[in-house]
Amino acid sequence: MGRVVKAQRVGDEIEPMVKHVTQEAINLFEGSAGRSTPSQFTDEATARETLGTEGTVASGRMTLSFALEMLRRHFGGDVFNHNGMVDLRFLRPVRPGDTITFAGTISDVSREAGGRKVSVDIKLTNQRGDTAVVGAGSAVVPNAFFPPEE
Amino acid sequence: MPEVDDRILLDWDALQVGETFEKYEYVLTQDMIDTYRKGVMDPEAAFPTISHKVDIKQFNAKYRDDGSVNARCAFYCYNPPIAGKKLTVRAWVADKYVRRGKNYTVTEAVSVDEDGRLIDRVITHELKQPSEVGKKWGG
Repeated sequence: MGRVVKAQRVGDEIEPMVKHVTQEAINLFEGSAGRSTPSQFTDEATARETLGTEGTVASGRMTLSFALEMLRRHFGGDVFNHNGMVDLRFLRPVRPGDTITFAGTISDVSREAGGRKVSVDIKLTNQRGDTAVVGAGSAVVPNAFFPPEE
Repeated sequence: MPEVDDRILLDWDALQVGETFEKYEYVLTQDMIDTYRKGVMDPEAAFPTISHKVDIKQFNAKYRDDGSVNARCAFYCYNPPIAGKKLTVRAWVADKYVRRGKNYTVTEAVSVDEDGRLIDRVITHELKQPSEVGKKWGG
């Protein structure tokens, strides 16, 4: 991905992102690390026994991967993949069948050596309107990535 | 013959903050990357290392307990990993705390590839009474 030049102003909303979570996707996420044993993510009986839930849930790290994608799209991979971060609190489970929407709002822009640290508040809501995840992310954007008038 | 589980039963009170786990090494394959990208529905996803859960992997390799739930997780990107490279992970207990009567552990891990490139850092807060969340979530 090439250089993403854009203004970064406190209060600006970044492009939201929607994901439809399926059990197949959860299984791929878990299987990508070579795990094959049943877990609360892949097996309903294990989820019932471990969590007391009716069914499986998506791993928090899968949800975190989605948040990384939203911020990478905003900042560009050249920036975010080298100094980006995300910190999320998981309030409610994301379950197979859920359609989840990530929203981000720029909360702070501060000067750093060679650029500006742009912080983003992150919120995830499900199709029922419940807030499932809150948190924040950031990246240090080089000065060259801002429009000339910035 | 069933395998013997020789892990230590977790005594949360005795758990030492700062305890470092054994070094963990693995080769990140292109197949792992491709499968991860399908799972997260993002063909440009750059950090398939997330799904390896390397901090709690090392914790769980040493301790057994009643399971856990990820309550909070932070991930820091430094350099996307490259397929075929061996990754070395150092993990440790970064903190532990009690909130609303429930025990949490905080584990942290840093991954570096065979060329010495810093890949990522992950910090995970886990609730150690997972059945409590099922009640909270309403099943």
